[in-house]
Amino acid sequence: MSNQQQQTTVRYAMTTMPTDFGQTGAEGIRDLVKRATAQAPIATYAEDPHPPISWDVIAGAGWDMAGIVEDGDGATTRDLVEIAREWGYGCIPQPLLPTILAKRLSSVAREANGPVTFALPLGEETLIPFGQLAEISVATTLGTDSGTLISAGDGDSDGLDLVGRGIRSTATVTTMTIEAAREVALVFAAESLGGAERLLADSIEFAKQRMQFGRAVGSFQAVKHKLADAAVAVESSETSLIWGSQRPEQAFRSAVFAVDRCIDAAEIAVQVHGGLGFTWEAGLHFPFRKFLSARRVVESLQRSHG
Amino acid sequence: MTVQTLDTGRDIEQFAAKAEQWLATAVPARWKNDRGSLTSHDMDEIRREWDFILWEGGYSGLSIPQEYGGQGLGLAEEIIFHVLAGSAQAPDGLARVGKSLVTPMLIKSGSEDQRAAYIPSIMNGTDVWCQGFSEPEAGSDMANIQTRARRVEGGYLLTGTKTWTSFAQHARRCFVLAQTQPEAGRYRNLSMLLVDMQAPGVSISDIRQISGAVHFAETRFDNVFVADSDRVGDDGDGWGVAMRVLGDERGGIETAARYVEIRSDVDALLAVLGDDPRYADRLRDLDIRTELVRWQLAKIADLETAGDEVRLARAGAVLKLMWSELWQDVTKLGVVHAPVAEHHHWTYQYLESRAVTIYGGSSEIQRNILSERVLGLPR
Repeated sequence: MSNQQQQTTVRYAMTTMPTDFGQTGAEGIRDLVKRATAQAPIATYAEDPHPPISWDVIAGAGWDMAGIVEDGDGATTRDLVEIAREWGYGCIPQPLLPTILAKRLSSVAREANGPVTFALPLGEETLIPFGQLAEISVATTLGTDSGTLISAGDGDSDGLDLVGRGIRSTATVTTMTIEAAREVALVFAAESLGGAERLLADSIEFAKQRMQFGRAVGSFQAVKHKLADAAVAVESSETSLIWGSQRPEQAFRSAVFAVDRCIDAAEIAVQVHGGLGFTWEAGLHFPFRKFLSARRVVESLQRSHG
Repeated sequence: MTVQTLDTGRDIEQFAAKAEQWLATAVPARWKNDRGSLTSHDMDEIRREWDFILWEGGYSGLSIPQEYGGQGLGLAEEIIFHVLAGSAQAPDGLARVGKSLVTPMLIKSGSEDQRAAYIPSIMNGTDVWCQGFSEPEAGSDMANIQTRARRVEGGYLLTGTKTWTSFAQHARRCFVLAQTQPEAGRYRNLSMLLVDMQAPGVSISDIRQISGAVHFAETRFDNVFVADSDRVGDDGDGWGVAMRVLGDERGGIETAARYVEIRSDVDALLAVLGDDPRYADRLRDLDIRTELVRWQLAKIADLETAGDEVRLARAGAVLKLMWSELWQDVTKLGVVHAPVAEHHHWTYQYLESRAVTIYGGSSEIQRNILSERVLGLPR
């Protein structure tokens, strides 16, 4: 990766769009998610032991390799953000994003057949996303060609990010270069952005359908303006990640800010859904809890690498 | 990461390097060094002169096509130039309304004769323009225009009162939204007229703001003659012409200028409060939001180039809310917490910034537009 080269030459150019690679990848993921979920509510599949997209389908299409860069050719950080956002919209409990990152940032992970994840610092503890999956392996190093793959080991199920199916343990944290840690933070934040887009879309739809006082609640200005604020939050979150993906030294700051805006949008989504909003049944909490988890992960990465 | 080239293929870095070099010598020394001792008359004179210097230097109308006397570049260059001009302490010219509103309006909706008659003198800084949309009874409800233009031989006689006309004191011309068909329904009764501010029957009076500054005027028209050839678009099409202008007002170039001012205020806060842990969280938030104004603009420019209408609509609709509410948060921190030596600056900026969530489409109107037209919520 020609990281340094870009940092020193780009002062004013502000490219915000993904490359063709990222655009094609994001469109592919969007189609995959749409076909698999058929726009079903998140709650109908988030806790299902058989997610609507199987790992075989993901790996069969080569999506787990989407982040690999060969001879300088492949996804940019900006492209990863675009892809992660589309994946995040689905809230599908499969380890696609950790595997994309691991295979991009570790040569041993690249050789592995199954899904790969890594161990993140979380204060005194370690969080291994998707560590509950039997077939997953953990990369010990990201960003350099050293390191091995190990099993996730034992731990408690992470009770926060239910889509992330992680475990909390005292396992050794994966060693990451600063560049690798930045990309991990941006991708986790971008997954949250996708979830926030989903919550915004679902809330708009709900506000159009839900009738009170003989009219759609979405026709009340107090509700409209809340949703407008959610849209501002989601836009700010996206722009922040674009900024962080183009200015690597801002990656952590941008990721923390972006996840905070997703949390703002989630609070509004719950409020707009009224009594349903805070029920398990409605399922808004699946992305919402993911944001809270991402917030801790990103800040923890910033603390250890910033 | 691979180095990405701009979709437009233009070399932004080269443009920036040349502009930076040019600005280093072009900014008038009197403005850069002695601004504190200048009278408001001197300042106006330098701002007017700056419009001409920009023209001579080839930096006037950066995103205006070359056939109309602009530089044929894009929003990306406009943003960068504003940022560089801000760092070089360049003055703010008086031609803003002409360049960012009138010229695009004439290109989109005007006649070939109007473009030839008015754009060159805007580009070279000769003629300042002002905008006559708002009225005492037409604020957020902008279609409630009461100013009438009565049909007469060869044109109209214009009578009514416009308010919040920035630059009226300097303006050679004003573009005015007036009722020309009183019997027609709402939105179909208006026309856009180009009015000579030196014509008999035009009078202006200052409006003083809570900051003490006078940026606006009330402008009265008493039977002012406007020729048919100075109507933009058809009689009755004024609302459509105006809506396309407001798209520009809430959009790019204006925000680039705002970014520069907000950036400078945030830098000033960082300089005096940056080491105090009590303000660290708030300053970090303000600093990031300031950079995001610039990146939001860049995103809008790229989505426009890519023709992605869906994303462009939302990205554009949040822009004014983003910068206007940010600036108020910035000045609020300054007015309460900045050291005594800076009280004057922050009092002024704080009181000035009260206006930005009202003019150019209030925050409430912005949220209505965003939720109804972009998010699709029912009226």
